[in-house]
Amino acid sequence: MPKKIAVIPELCSGCRICELVCSMEHFGVNNPKKSAIRVVVTYPQPVARMPIVCSQCGFPACAEACPVDALKQRDGLVVLDEGECISCMKCVEACPFGAIYAHAEVDHPIKCDLCGGSPQCVAHCPKAALRLIPEQALGEAKRISNVLSYAHMKEIVFIEEGKEKTIQYAEIGKEEL
Amino acid sequence: MSIRSGYHEKLLHVDLTEGRSEERRLSEAFLDRFIGGRGFGAKLVWDNLAAHDYKIDPMGAENLLVIAPGPLTGLYLPSSGKCSLITLSPATGIYGDSSIGGSFGVELRQTGFDALAVAGRAPELSFLFIDDGEVTIQAMPELKGKSCLETEGLIKERLGTHELNVASIGPAGENGIRFACVNADWSRNAGRTGMGAVMGSKNLKAVVVRGSRDLPVQDISGLRRESEKAYAYMSGHKYFKMWQREGLMNVMEYANAHGFLPTHNFKDATFTRIKNINGDTMLASYKISDSACFSCSMCCGNVCLVKQGKYMGTVTEGPEYESCAMLGSNLGVDDFAAVLAANRLCDELGMDTISTGNLVGAVIEGYEKGILSLDDLDGDPLTWGDDEAILRLIHKIGRREGIGDALADGSAALVRRWPDMDPVVLQVKGLEQSAYDSRAASSMALAYATSDIGAHHTRAWTIAKELEEGQDWSDEQKVDLVIYHQTLRPLFDMLGVCRLPWIELGLNERHYANFYQLVTGNELTLPDLLERSNEVYNLTRAVNARLGMSRKDDILPYKVYACPVQTGPTAGRIIDREEFSRLLSLYYRKRGWNEDGLPQSPEESAAP
Repeated sequence: MPKKIAVIPELCSGCRICELVCSMEHFGVNNPKKSAIRVVVTYPQPVARMPIVCSQCGFPACAEACPVDALKQRDGLVVLDEGECISCMKCVEACPFGAIYAHAEVDHPIKCDLCGGSPQCVAHCPKAALRLIPEQALGEAKRISNVLSYAHMKEIVFIEEGKEKTIQYAEIGKEEL
Repeated sequence: MSIRSGYHEKLLHVDLTEGRSEERRLSEAFLDRFIGGRGFGAKLVWDNLAAHDYKIDPMGAENLLVIAPGPLTGLYLPSSGKCSLITLSPATGIYGDSSIGGSFGVELRQTGFDALAVAGRAPELSFLFIDDGEVTIQAMPELKGKSCLETEGLIKERLGTHELNVASIGPAGENGIRFACVNADWSRNAGRTGMGAVMGSKNLKAVVVRGSRDLPVQDISGLRRESEKAYAYMSGHKYFKMWQREGLMNVMEYANAHGFLPTHNFKDATFTRIKNINGDTMLASYKISDSACFSCSMCCGNVCLVKQGKYMGTVTEGPEYESCAMLGSNLGVDDFAAVLAANRLCDELGMDTISTGNLVGAVIEGYEKGILSLDDLDGDPLTWGDDEAILRLIHKIGRREGIGDALADGSAALVRRWPDMDPVVLQVKGLEQSAYDSRAASSMALAYATSDIGAHHTRAWTIAKELEEGQDWSDEQKVDLVIYHQTLRPLFDMLGVCRLPWIELGLNERHYANFYQLVTGNELTLPDLLERSNEVYNLTRAVNARLGMSRKDDILPYKVYACPVQTGPTAGRIIDREEFSRLLSLYYRKRGWNEDGLPQSPEESAAP
């Protein structure tokens, strides 16, 4: 079953360890500018930190833009065939997320290959802001946080073994709903 | 000695008066001896001082501002985002340095330079742009009066990209506020000793860097292996999650519980309303995001938002402990939203929160005691906890309006104008004291008195250890600990890394010697590196000695000797003058300085 990198920007601290491990893994150098993942930070409006990495799209815009068919969908991965690639960098501009990168010293576009199935950025993220999950699980973090922040939640407080405890619940069938 | 990698071996020297820049080669002997960061800076500042016959006005065009990351900056190892700024300080008139986190230093190294040295004065307000080795000085007078945040945004707009790093000054730097800071990554600051004022005096509104080069490493797989061990050690530490969650805000409760929290201008050392401005309050109602420096898994930075009340909409990176203590308890402010607003205002003006908190605290106490009149305060009375009046005063300092003009030149100037304020201000050598009450621990008092930049805690932070373990310490144990801190901690600033993984999570310092060897191929052991750091300490002492500093200046604020702590577990404590004098003499002896605190052969520390 193909897996995807899920990004949880709310957890990202902006440390950029993902960029470093990516550059070491793929190029054997310490250079955050030679990585297939970048953390974009905006401040103060909006306050956001978001790692940008390839989504391995099912209908990839990068492949569409490639004039020599060097990008192909294969087993849930968008694979760059460097033998075919003519380094025109059209894919870099075509990606709607800006998730393919270029560098003057690197011959081909820098694109996530999921490190052959065990992405190092995911393994090294100290905040678990990057996760490798099955495709059908995408969005799970959003779903649970949506439920937890549900505005109409009710609450009861009770004592158990001398300690104050709280239970929250969404009561069905009340008028305010 | 054999440095095989780790450096570009190049310094960028910029003369703003001439509008010229040139690459200067850094010799292997220089790299080996001074390592990087503050080591580079101390040597370059000394050479510049010697070239000007030991007479330099810190605000003059002749003063040299050095911006230097270290050989470990930007590498895959814990907390490598540090960069030092070094110059003669307008706050103190002597050697000054300050370090900044975030990622500015990383990007600077990626431009292909190990360090930047800026001299002269631009004819009009300008920024320096280092774009992968291509250097331009661009006039941008429309930045005049803009806050640090606005400046960063406007420069990115002008250059048409957000993918670069900007280190800028705000109005405080332009207006020559002696404790103006330099701001990068939106709200990271090189806070102390007035780096922003020096940039302002040079008409240098910002330094902008964009780099793409590899950072040189001799043994990348070895480094990766060693770093994984260090990161794994950190994440396994029992306090790791707490650091990620609260960052430095956890120190608020610790300082309060141990009786060294600055409160009411260091009258008290505990704050009765601590609960309103502690880490739990931040987490419960204000924190919206973590903020890590480059390559740091601890992410001690917090981003906070005020969601209701009169400060609603205030976004601040921070506060960290110092800012929260100095703008909170030290001013009697118990509203966390007001602390955030004051912190944000300081960030926008580009002004050090520690010095600001000290000076505002001194004004409140001075007014309370009748030393300052309502007229002196421009008719705007100021009392403990009056957050709105405090914000107005901070604003006046940054703009040099009314009494703010007198405060803008720091505590020494304040005392010159109102001599009776002398017992009220807390400073050493003109630098206002950090947020640790040294009456609680005599080793901390010694640390402030002998710090090469004035009363700051970066050089030695011994207070926690003495309070936890040092009740029966001998003089010798105290002095040894201060000297060890003053040797190891500056080494972090030379290497270009943060000291927090070591001081807070106990990451063994030997890791850093390992990192240094793997990166440079230069077989220096930890003792070798410490010896180099010690020589840099002798060198900065030599700079200060040349500028007239000696034992007479290694003294403590009046309150520390004379006014016992009022409340809490350290109530009643003061530092005994005789004990302090004894510690100081022992300290000089152990450092090999004479009884007057002067190094024996200052020129030797500066060779080659």
